[in-house]
Amino acid sequence: MLAPIAGLGLEVTRRVSELGALARFVWEALASARSLTRAGRRVAFRVFANQLWFTALQAVPLIIALSGILSFLVISQAVRELGRLGATELIGTLMVVAIVRELGPLLTALSVAGRSGTAIAAELATNRVMGEVDALEGMGIDPQHYLVLPRLGAAIVSVSSLIVLFDLVAIFSGLVAAVANGMSTARYFDIVLRSLSFGDAGLSALKGLVFGAIIGTVPCFHGLRVRRAATEVPIASSRAVVVSILFIFLGSAAFVAVR
Amino acid sequence: MDGHPLVFEAVTLNHGLTLDLQVPAHCAVSIVGAEDSGVGCLGRYALGLERPASGKVLVLGEEIGTMARRHALAFRRRVGYLPAGDGLLQNLSLYDNIALPLRFGTSLSEREIAGRMRIMVTMVGIGGVAQHRPAAVNEEQRRRAALARALALNPSLVILEQPFDGLTVAAAAELLELARGGETAEGSMRTVFIVGQHLPEILRRRIEFCYRLGRSGLEREN
Repeated sequence: MLAPIAGLGLEVTRRVSELGALARFVWEALASARSLTRAGRRVAFRVFANQLWFTALQAVPLIIALSGILSFLVISQAVRELGRLGATELIGTLMVVAIVRELGPLLTALSVAGRSGTAIAAELATNRVMGEVDALEGMGIDPQHYLVLPRLGAAIVSVSSLIVLFDLVAIFSGLVAAVANGMSTARYFDIVLRSLSFGDAGLSALKGLVFGAIIGTVPCFHGLRVRRAATEVPIASSRAVVVSILFIFLGSAAFVAVR
Repeated sequence: MDGHPLVFEAVTLNHGLTLDLQVPAHCAVSIVGAEDSGVGCLGRYALGLERPASGKVLVLGEEIGTMARRHALAFRRRVGYLPAGDGLLQNLSLYDNIALPLRFGTSLSEREIAGRMRIMVTMVGIGGVAQHRPAAVNEEQRRRAALARALALNPSLVILEQPFDGLTVAAAAELLELARGGETAEGSMRTVFIVGQHLPEILRRRIEFCYRLGRSGLEREN
């Protein structure tokens, strides 16, 4: 009769211990930055630049498409429906609250997690399975320096930049939708810019930092956790993306709660 | 310490065996044994990548396993290591793989590294494929690149795990000579420690101490 309770307890213990291991991994990664030599920084920067290419630049078309379509649809509907009620002023609030403040960072982070998070976890898990991580350690190269820190830095920079891109495209796509539905450009910008504040920009930047850190660390943690079997690689990728998405949603909720 | 760059003291292996071994300087020493004998762990024990259940391993007079991580990483740069299965990074070319320890562990400029690299890729005979990734070359070329990477910082001690598996005898002999680094009055330039499951007969003539790890312990074969 106690078996289900014991099972539940075991599961909770496992999850908490996993969370502890993740926290320790993040701490060790950040602490390892202190011992990065000048020569090591040069090598790490190359990896960082490669990651930036893959995580940020190659994701640009996806972010433009997502943001453009979403904003066009939302603003088209809003101009039409709110116009009937004579409340077109509210599209500024809609644009800022719904798209710039919430959906922009969230959708950007989810896209990067789905695209790059899985790739990072799969790559690092393969590194581990192929003995490359041990080879690095054997050569005196800290895998945190070579594998984790550049990916963490690149994820933070990428997510932050892509959020800015998402917001800009959303604003201009919203303009196209508004103009197509009879609103003048000047009036659109007047409404939207009046609703935008520096606080929104700051919040977006903070979200970029937090979501980028999640995408930079969770997949690295799960990727490097595998041992020797190739069958663990897809499991690590899938777990990495699920946990990243969960943390991104929890982070998003925490931002709303704190505000 | 000078006479024995690598020392295994009462290191517990599988089947309740205990290993005591001193690897003399300027010599090549090999230990072969079955997969389940624990012979495959010796290199990892030596580099502190894994710790034996009991006993200790001294490398150049130091026990890496007890060092702080940061110091252990710096210390390992003094030892050449060719892991089983080569351990080359798949997303880097052979050239970049070999240059990695130089880029990470020295303050050499990229130009100086390029100079050294020209010598190294020629020495190990992979000049024509150096810009290829590991997946695009054959096993022998990968092994040559992995050995060049292990020798990049010119270590006095080299640990090779299963370095000759799948190679022709001629290629294996050439790699062994490269690892030895030439001859001095005292013996080979470097101390070479080889572990694996099999060693071609002809190589035993160039290895001063060949051991087999069996159920009854370590037995000298030559």
